[in-house]
Amino acid sequence: MADRPKIAAITTVYHKYSHTQHIVDRFLEGYGWNGRHHRPAMDLVSLYVDQVDPDPDIDRPDLSRERAERFPQMTIYPTVADALTLGGSDLAVDGVLLVAEHGSYNRNEKGQHLYPRYELFKQIASVYRTTGKSAPVFNDKHLSWNWDWCQEMYDISQELDFAFMAGSSLPVTWRTPSLEFPLDAEVEEAVSVCYGGVDSYDFHGLETLQCMVERRKGGESGVKWVQAYSDDKFWQAHADGVWSRELFEANLCRSHTLKPARPGFNNPFPTIDEMKQLVEKPIAYQYEHEDGLLSTMIMMSGMVEDFNFAARIKGQDEPFSTQMYLPMPPARTTLANFFSPLVNNVEQMFLTGQATYPVERTLLTSGLVIGGVDSLHQEQAKIETPHLKIAYQSTDESTFWRT
Amino acid sequence: MATKRIAVIATIYRYLSHAQHFADRFFVGYPYGGKWNRPDCQLVSIYVDQKPEGDQSEDRAREFGGKVYPTIAEALRCGGDELACDAVLIIGEHGEYPDNEKGQKLYPRYEFFKQCVEVFEADGRTVPVYNDKHLSYSFDKAQEMVDDGHRLDFPILAGSSLPVTYRLPDVELPLGCKIEEALMVGCGGSDPMDYHALEAMQCMIERRAGGETGVKSVQMIEGDAVWTAGEEGRYSLGLLESALSRSDSPCGKTDEDGRTQDLLGNGELPGLVEKPAAYFIEHNDGLKTTLLMLNGAIRDFTFACKLEGEADPISTQFFLTPVPNVTYSACLVAKIWEMIETGKAPFPAERTLIVSGALESCLTSKVENHKLLETPHLSVEYQAPAESHHGRF
Repeated sequence: MADRPKIAAITTVYHKYSHTQHIVDRFLEGYGWNGRHHRPAMDLVSLYVDQVDPDPDIDRPDLSRERAERFPQMTIYPTVADALTLGGSDLAVDGVLLVAEHGSYNRNEKGQHLYPRYELFKQIASVYRTTGKSAPVFNDKHLSWNWDWCQEMYDISQELDFAFMAGSSLPVTWRTPSLEFPLDAEVEEAVSVCYGGVDSYDFHGLETLQCMVERRKGGESGVKWVQAYSDDKFWQAHADGVWSRELFEANLCRSHTLKPARPGFNNPFPTIDEMKQLVEKPIAYQYEHEDGLLSTMIMMSGMVEDFNFAARIKGQDEPFSTQMYLPMPPARTTLANFFSPLVNNVEQMFLTGQATYPVERTLLTSGLVIGGVDSLHQEQAKIETPHLKIAYQSTDESTFWRT
Repeated sequence: MATKRIAVIATIYRYLSHAQHFADRFFVGYPYGGKWNRPDCQLVSIYVDQKPEGDQSEDRAREFGGKVYPTIAEALRCGGDELACDAVLIIGEHGEYPDNEKGQKLYPRYEFFKQCVEVFEADGRTVPVYNDKHLSYSFDKAQEMVDDGHRLDFPILAGSSLPVTYRLPDVELPLGCKIEEALMVGCGGSDPMDYHALEAMQCMIERRAGGETGVKSVQMIEGDAVWTAGEEGRYSLGLLESALSRSDSPCGKTDEDGRTQDLLGNGELPGLVEKPAAYFIEHNDGLKTTLLMLNGAIRDFTFACKLEGEADPISTQFFLTPVPNVTYSACLVAKIWEMIETGKAPFPAERTLIVSGALESCLTSKVENHKLLETPHLSVEYQAPAESHHGRF
């Protein structure tokens, strides 16, 4: 590797507030890190953008051309292969960013957004196979909307033996309070209360859960089944104690965005009736791990706008709880700085050739999203998931942002 | 322990006023430490100085008990002959009050406080007092308030939520550390927001070796002189970069297309700040601190300091959690409740006293042609609590 690694970015679209903008900009412009303006010790030299709208007057115009002009070290290439070979015939980069979130892509009948992560990944792998060389890959968010493709992406990374990292910012962002989940804890139950839509923020909620529960005694053992609950069935399950009411409420006590149900009050705790008024479509994905642990991800859009976590740990009187805080533009901030710790972890992988946390987490959460979506699509049936028998160990030290 | 009887003395009580979001928490509970805390207390009386449209004082009294009284003395005595509450919340923020020539809003906190003290003295009993934000726009008045607390031996908790809110990252300066220089960046109008920024800085630097020693001199400058002062080393540009690196809200190009920015390094900073202001505060032990109010460049409150023997600065953001929950005020209510329950203020009112005085003198400097002012009257000495009180649980 040269003194400064060369990085390629393979992306769907590059406009303001797209994931590409958040991630690639941090490589180009630097970002606040450890109390200074940090500039990655590597050069982003090539860019592939799958969709470029040439109209400068649309709401969020393309930024790739402007960025390439201001950063002449970065060349835009017409194909993935060209971006990886810098227009030649040999792999010419030391790391690849695959950012395929946002852009105009179809949805299928289950509501899944058909982002071409798998297709783009396969083109990267094709270059690796053709050239007989490989480089670490970071895949933003989940691996694919199709389980077989998720598994294939993972298998290819194992077969070709390159460092592979993936996932969301939630495991690495700030926590309020800044708490580490105890390693080897005996976890009795875990619940995450968050918000968002199906095949979108559900993934973030699941990553929130997994980055915590994977630290339990024995590590992650995989998932036996997943079942979704929504609408009336959700409220019935909530009343029946299908998930812990105590943990659900501990989550709400970590929220900074608990919508006031009573006019004139800024932060009251809602009653069940008020929750039902606030949340038009509550959704839960519950899943049982191979070791018996029950985890539940609950999206309460209309009541909260943040990602919270609570777990009952054996031997502790009170639930463990915190919030994974996202400084989210444009309402609260101008920068989506939760991408900074994500980029920083990716940088470390590019520098060392080692993923800083296991991609198996994201393989599992990708499968859980698919399982949750399938359950919703099959009238909230319980979906057996023998394919999710994915065991892995967390890193000893959490990689969340605390410096 | 018996249910605590709370008297609320406020300028106004309406939605999103400080009185509403602080006092309500005692009666509807608040999130802190991962649970919904419901303090064992009841509202017994409210006094409001003004009743603007949307006044909630009568509604709250009806819902949570007690009555709205026409005077502070009656509120503290609940209409009877003697002090009849266990704690007083003085929340003199918001409402229509004139400004003085320094731009200070003349909230009647001192006047409210003194009326409480009169009742305490007449009835021969005192109770803990929470004073929201700075003690007074006047240091002399603020000093008298703190002196009253010591003289009559009742605890006073005062100040803003910034010292107790979450920090990004969660840093605390080691007790007894040696600070070479400290710098705070803030935004918003004077005098409400500069107060918050100064108090945030004070809760950090008071932990230095020897504790707080008082303020020797202050100077406030404005306009391009602020940038010149930076170039001349009057404050550390390294600390400014460090503080800015903790901001989630750089403006300008970031507003336009979302890009990250090194606002100092890329030269954009001076062009963005509408009216820069620097508050220079020198302490009696020689520590020099600077507050930069950078409206137009950022929209948050960040801090950086250089410790002796450490290569890199320590920096953080004081996280002002979103409206309307403003859960930072829940962090402060947890501390107020701690005082009411234990009879001891978790952190000294002297912090708020010195910040009240430093701010007043800075604003005096502003109207006196930005001159340097010696401040022998600000020799306020105190020790920081060893324990951290910000959001970390």
